Amino acid sequence: MSEGWLALLQQAFRLLLSFDPDVWSIINVSFSVSFAALFITLIPSIMLGFFLAFTHFPGRWIVTNLIQTLQSIPTVVIGLLVYLLLTRNGAMGDLKWLFSQNGMIFGQMLICAPVLVALSQAAFASVDRRAWETSRTLGANWLMAIWTVCRELRVALLLAIVAAFSRILTEVGCSMMVGGNIMNVTRNIPTAIALETSKGDFAQAIALGLVLLILALVLNFALGSLRGKALPRSH
Amino acid sequence: MIQSTSLPPQIKAAVEATDLLMQFDARRLFSAHKLRFVEGDVIYLQGDNGSGKSTLMKILAGLLKPSQGYVFSQGFSRPAWWQSDSLLGKAVYLHQHPYLFDGTVKYNLTYGLPVRKIRTKALQQRLEQAINMAQLSDLLQHSASDLSGGERQRLAIARAWICQPKLLMLDEPISNMDKHSQRLVLAMINQLKIEGTGLLISSHQTCGLTALCQQHWHIKDQVIHTSQHVPNLDTQQDNSVMGSHYVIAK
Repeated sequence: MSEGWLALLQQAFRLLLSFDPDVWSIINVSFSVSFAALFITLIPSIMLGFFLAFTHFPGRWIVTNLIQTLQSIPTVVIGLLVYLLLTRNGAMGDLKWLFSQNGMIFGQMLICAPVLVALSQAAFASVDRRAWETSRTLGANWLMAIWTVCRELRVALLLAIVAAFSRILTEVGCSMMVGGNIMNVTRNIPTAIALETSKGDFAQAIALGLVLLILALVLNFALGSLRGKALPRSH
Repeated sequence: MIQSTSLPPQIKAAVEATDLLMQFDARRLFSAHKLRFVEGDVIYLQGDNGSGKSTLMKILAGLLKPSQGYVFSQGFSRPAWWQSDSLLGKAVYLHQHPYLFDGTVKYNLTYGLPVRKIRTKALQQRLEQAINMAQLSDLLQHSASDLSGGERQRLAIARAWICQPKLLMLDEPISNMDKHSQRLVLAMINQLKIEGTGLLISSHQTCGLTALCQQHWHIKDQVIHTSQHVPNLDTQQDNSVMGSHYVIAK
């Protein structure tokens, strides 16, 4: 049994290090789709998080609770919703995004945004209000003041970004339903792992799993070092 | 309501509040018929703890909206067409416990400069002068979070001083400060007074700083009273803080 595992691991490393085109195509699809979804949602979501934390308007708590609820909706349900929207008879059927990377990006945006908004709102709510006031009273316009506050909260915001990115990079339900798991087009790491495992081809599944593990390690160590530098400070 | 009007440059910069009322829920904090804070004025704002001194300053700085009344500015340069003409950034407000941004002392000192239209050479001179006055030259590359209470206050005042504000509001600027830091802060504030900056200085008790003041605003019984008479001070205490070389600009 252990020899079998060892052989599989060796095979998995060989696939990665020999730059197997199939494996690297899957990795490429995974990262390009998830980075695109993150890139598009990042700034609007952080701005919305800031707005929810810094302003008071009737119904704010309803919006906040809705966003927090959206965080916990299973990705397969979001996949179903996006599928219904993008299907030929759906509201967005004319876009012809079903079973395409655009459709996957759209689905991942819906998964990513609530996480980013909720975590950035929590970060902004915890910031010392004087940071905003000092920036504004010294003449900074609102955009520069937001930048200053984001700079003060960089560790918390990076954590939010990493959490959101991890969620979309590893989600399988939405990608499977909206992307369709088409090789070299929409097959990403989680859908490929699910497929290869069902076929019994564990080497490729392990190789792709290793990529996710290495990524998780790198991100956590990078964040850990940042967190270590950002010691609690007295104001 | 907060408004802003840009008038010809010969008119002194001012922030004016009329029919002001501030309350938090049902609790009335203060009211005032008319308050005028003009460039060149040095005003002592007195009031007990919790009377609303900081709140009033934040209203005049544009950081808070009053429950009722109008606050508007005059005599400031007109902002670019794409910028909103608000009160913010006109009367600079300095917190009682100033906030220092995460970064070095130099980063904090120069924070407000990109938005101020000051020539580079003049800017450099002013920066050096501020560093010397606040005695921060050895600390420039240190993290601002490592500074002591007095150093933090000096840095915050130096940061505002560099920006050459026309109006500056200081919230209990020398409370809990050692004599050395008090002297340095007083020298910086005096320099601002000489340069014609309007100063609104709050304190819940008279101190060396109030000797600089020519007007008196007093929050008493939830009403802001204004007068041209500043309460008498314990001169003994003032001299000890100001030092023998210190001259008050009148």
